[in-house]
Amino acid sequence: MDIPIILTGTLAGSALLLPALDIAIGTKTNRTFSAYFTSFVMAISLALVLLSATSVIPLGESAAPKLLQNDFMGLVFAIIVLSVALMVSLSSIDYMRDEPNTSIYYSLLLFTSLGMILLSFAADLLMVFVAWELMGIPTFILVGYRKKDPNSNEAAVKFFLLGALSTGVLLYGISILFGLTGSTNLAAVAAELSTLDASMMPMLAFGVILAIAGLGLKLSIVPFHMWIPDAYEGAPTTVSTLLSAGTKKAGFVAAIRILAVAFPLLKLDLTMALAVIALATMTLGNLAALTQKSMTRLLAYSSIAQAGYMMIGLAVLPSNLGLTGLLYHSFNHALMQGVAFLAAAMISSRFSKASLEPYEGLSRSMPLTSFSLTIALLGLAGMPPLSGFWSKFILFTAAVDGNLTWLAFAGLLNSALSLGYYGLIVKRMYVDEPSSTQKVHEPVGFALLLLAASMVVIITGIYPAPIYDLTQKAVLAFVP
Amino acid sequence: MVELAFPLAPWLVWAIPMFGALLIPLYAKFGDKARDYIAVIFPLLSAISAAMMLPLALNGQIFHQQIPWITSLNIKAGVLADPLGVLMANIVAWISFLIMVYSIGYMHGDTNLTRYWFFMNLFIGSMQLIVLSDNFLQLFFGWEGVGLCSYALIGFWNKDKEKDYVGTVGHTAWGFAQAYSPSHAGMKAFITTRVGDVAFLIGILTLFFYSGTFGYTELAAEHQWAVELARSGLLIPVAVLIFGGAIGKSAQFPLHEWLPDAMAGPTSVSALIHAATMVKAGVFLVARIGPLFYVAVQSAQLVAPFFQTVAWIGAITAFLAASQALVAREVKKVLAYSTVSQIGYMMLGLGVAGLSSEFVGGFVAGFFHLTSHAIFKAALFMGAGVLIHATETKYMDEMGGLKGGMKKTYFAMLVATGSLAGVPFLSGFWSKDAILASVLDVGGIMAYGLFGLATITAIMTAFYSFRMIGMIFFGKKSHHLQEMEHHGHDVREAPTVMWLPIAILAAATLTIGVTGPFFEGFLETAFAKNLKELYGMQIVEHGFALNPIAISASVLALVIGGFFGYNYYIARRSDPFRMVQSNAFLGGMHKFLENRWYIDALYYKIFVNAPITASNVLFKGLELGVLDKTNVVVSKGAIALSAISNWFDSNVVDGIANGMATVSTFVSGRVRKIQTGVANQYVFAFALGIVFLVILMLILL
Repeated sequence: MDIPIILTGTLAGSALLLPALDIAIGTKTNRTFSAYFTSFVMAISLALVLLSATSVIPLGESAAPKLLQNDFMGLVFAIIVLSVALMVSLSSIDYMRDEPNTSIYYSLLLFTSLGMILLSFAADLLMVFVAWELMGIPTFILVGYRKKDPNSNEAAVKFFLLGALSTGVLLYGISILFGLTGSTNLAAVAAELSTLDASMMPMLAFGVILAIAGLGLKLSIVPFHMWIPDAYEGAPTTVSTLLSAGTKKAGFVAAIRILAVAFPLLKLDLTMALAVIALATMTLGNLAALTQKSMTRLLAYSSIAQAGYMMIGLAVLPSNLGLTGLLYHSFNHALMQGVAFLAAAMISSRFSKASLEPYEGLSRSMPLTSFSLTIALLGLAGMPPLSGFWSKFILFTAAVDGNLTWLAFAGLLNSALSLGYYGLIVKRMYVDEPSSTQKVHEPVGFALLLLAASMVVIITGIYPAPIYDLTQKAVLAFVP
Repeated sequence: MVELAFPLAPWLVWAIPMFGALLIPLYAKFGDKARDYIAVIFPLLSAISAAMMLPLALNGQIFHQQIPWITSLNIKAGVLADPLGVLMANIVAWISFLIMVYSIGYMHGDTNLTRYWFFMNLFIGSMQLIVLSDNFLQLFFGWEGVGLCSYALIGFWNKDKEKDYVGTVGHTAWGFAQAYSPSHAGMKAFITTRVGDVAFLIGILTLFFYSGTFGYTELAAEHQWAVELARSGLLIPVAVLIFGGAIGKSAQFPLHEWLPDAMAGPTSVSALIHAATMVKAGVFLVARIGPLFYVAVQSAQLVAPFFQTVAWIGAITAFLAASQALVAREVKKVLAYSTVSQIGYMMLGLGVAGLSSEFVGGFVAGFFHLTSHAIFKAALFMGAGVLIHATETKYMDEMGGLKGGMKKTYFAMLVATGSLAGVPFLSGFWSKDAILASVLDVGGIMAYGLFGLATITAIMTAFYSFRMIGMIFFGKKSHHLQEMEHHGHDVREAPTVMWLPIAILAAATLTIGVTGPFFEGFLETAFAKNLKELYGMQIVEHGFALNPIAISASVLALVIGGFFGYNYYIARRSDPFRMVQSNAFLGGMHKFLENRWYIDALYYKIFVNAPITASNVLFKGLELGVLDKTNVVVSKGAIALSAISNWFDSNVVDGIANGMATVSTFVSGRVRKIQTGVANQYVFAFALGIVFLVILMLILL
């Protein structure tokens, strides 16, 4: 089944129709129509992708094989981004209830998801670029969705400026690759590069650097991370979830597709450069997170640190194990970070403050949310038997495998360090006494959504084989 | 491999407490009593399951069962019930059960007991998972669980009231307070043991990389991995890294500092940590990996450095900790130092096993000491808990003269302490003697060094044991107790639910003491079969024999240490307090030991203060300051450059430089006003980042 084309039709069609449908069916009586509609579309798409991934529906050839590659690598990332998008749209039912023009919000959400999907399957540099923009531009608007909130506006402007710059840099990199090879199709680029004249190597290296830098903004790696905490804090937290758990993963798939082509051909060793970036990213993220006073900023820095772990997978390219670890951790991280951000969104909206204070004694007033958040945070810290342990384990094994034992060591120390701030939140929720006696209502549907996601974290932690096998299959199909 | 009468037993031993823990919050809804009793039933069921495996150990048989976990990575989950695992599981299970029963009395009336029972059960379950795992990875799951539970339980009294502090408030060493709140102590334990965990994980990852498996049986069956590890010079590093995990968990030098402060937790938790779960995990790990590395190489010479490391770490720790126990004021701290010291003995035994010609000797000695120590130390801690309840103080110098009022506790503690000191015909005597004898088996200069350290430690052990008994039970009642009695609070004996577990353990100490040689013979037979069947080791059983040198050394140590201890603290012929005050050397020594050889303070200086400073500097410097500074540097550089090239094109360059300077001044002004960051700086940072990448490439090209 031609997943990318079908999803393009479904998602783009729904995104375009939604505002009109919303007017037709009547916003006055039912303000949540768009939310349910979007969630329904996401769920259908996710089901389709899952059926393909489990080979219930055979994976067919793509109708445009030069543009979109219908492979397992794309499927894995499609699962990731659609799960995140589904979580975001479901949680927005409650979170965005009182906002105006929700149909536009959901329409943009669908467009972004489409961008991420296309990026997952892209087999052509031009497709990468178009998908990148399709993914990026709606998020600029989404970040600034609360137009009366100066923070939201400021975040949107910053995000837009940096986003535009990174797009430009990415395009510059792509143009260099095109100039060197005369093609934008990744397979053709690879074929051309293998016969590239040695004198052109510095040019190729420069092109790859620019591509890494351009993608690096979404990957939130050091030194392109600075905008992250501001943007995540200013945006509606559901949108931050999308940025951290969704678009970042899409950035990683683009990086994998480009680097996997360029890596074996580059006569220079990118390993050390990427390993240094990985080390810097995880260390800085964790250290900075230790001292944060706001939950969204804390999670933003934690998200940066997690990108550092994932960079290990790119650093050890072309190791299959490393890529498997990267895919696996992308999946786990999307789930855990999604739960953590959405729980934070719910808590901050219930208490109307983003500081860590509402977390004191939270387990009494919001037991389900607290439990899910605990699982998500411990999973992010890599505590066995949660799924986060396994993907980190694979990544660190890959590092040892690739003669980067020091990086594995650093990663483990970083994980130990990260428990410092994750544990503090858990302690606040379960051990500390509540500071205020404010009664809060825990929205049941929302809490059950988080609970379901955290159950996946637990179950795939105890029995990780299916997810591991799927990611391994994707990698083996991609790198023969 | 044999069939087990009840093949699920090895799974249930750890699964029951683990899943039981999850049910406790539910049972809490039915009322406190129901919850408390049900919380104790899970360890009982676990212990019964453990007992069902005993026939395996008695016949020296092995039960091994595997289920697939991640097949494509060749990772399997499984249980391995060999005599080592089965005996360990039974020790852990039954002692834990007794401690849980004791907890009903000891923790009575505490709020938050749901949390207590939850973590106690999870603690026991995680420990049993360590014991019965058949591979390193599954063991690591339990390992982390134990770490998490210890953090939660040491810091159980999270209100951090001053009475719950460990150490004397106000006492400082090098300006670092030597008293810690429970939360702090819990965090300290967690972080310190995690240092070991990181080493451990790196060790097993490397091992996995070379062997492609985590399973003990697979590793024991095929030794190619050891050959390759040895070829790349990683054999000893990997073994020592894995041992690093044991150093952390078992509080061995240099990661021993967390255990004395772990006394901030409830006494029942201390008993569990010291006797059954946490610190024994490290010893157990060494007992698992020792034979594995021993048989994997062609000649034992190749792994000798590893066993030497284990033996010396053990001996040094034993000495270090025993010396600190000499001056401790708190009864629980004496016991804590003594645990660290006794674990050192066990490590010594397991270390010399790999150095002598007969592996099984030291192996049996180490495990025998683990058994006897687990039993008497649990009794001692529970006794200490009774004393602390009864006297409302944790300081020994505020007790005194309790012999008459608390007869039962006195007798039980006397037996257990006697075993610790090595009084003949108590369990500790035999096991300590076995360790000394196996040290002598090694032969050579090194053996005498180890033997000397161990004997001096034995003298100190005898001394602090007598000191403890003397200070608590003999002499006059302290002012504190007299005042309590004056107010009508008489010192009372503990209720049955607390007293009975202590009595059972004291009786067990006596029983093993009486049957010592037979018990050792049984262990030797079981382990000889175990080592032979699991690792293919050729074992010559030599039966029980007394080593006259070892015996006389341990008796002599008891007499010397005991004489001084008896003299000062039981007969009270002179006042040691005054002696220390009047003699400058003794006073200095006392302070040195009381401040833990200043190791604790040193660690705080290096590992706590320095990173906090670094984190602040890094965060302020990097996240907030660096842009600021780079802007200034860039503009200054531009100005300097422009001055040099002024004659060339003064107008243009100056203009740019001034412009940049103006912009950056403006920007740095803003960064202080607005905390959320400035967009153009981010763009600037982005550009810098690309430059950084290009430079990085150029360096690496």
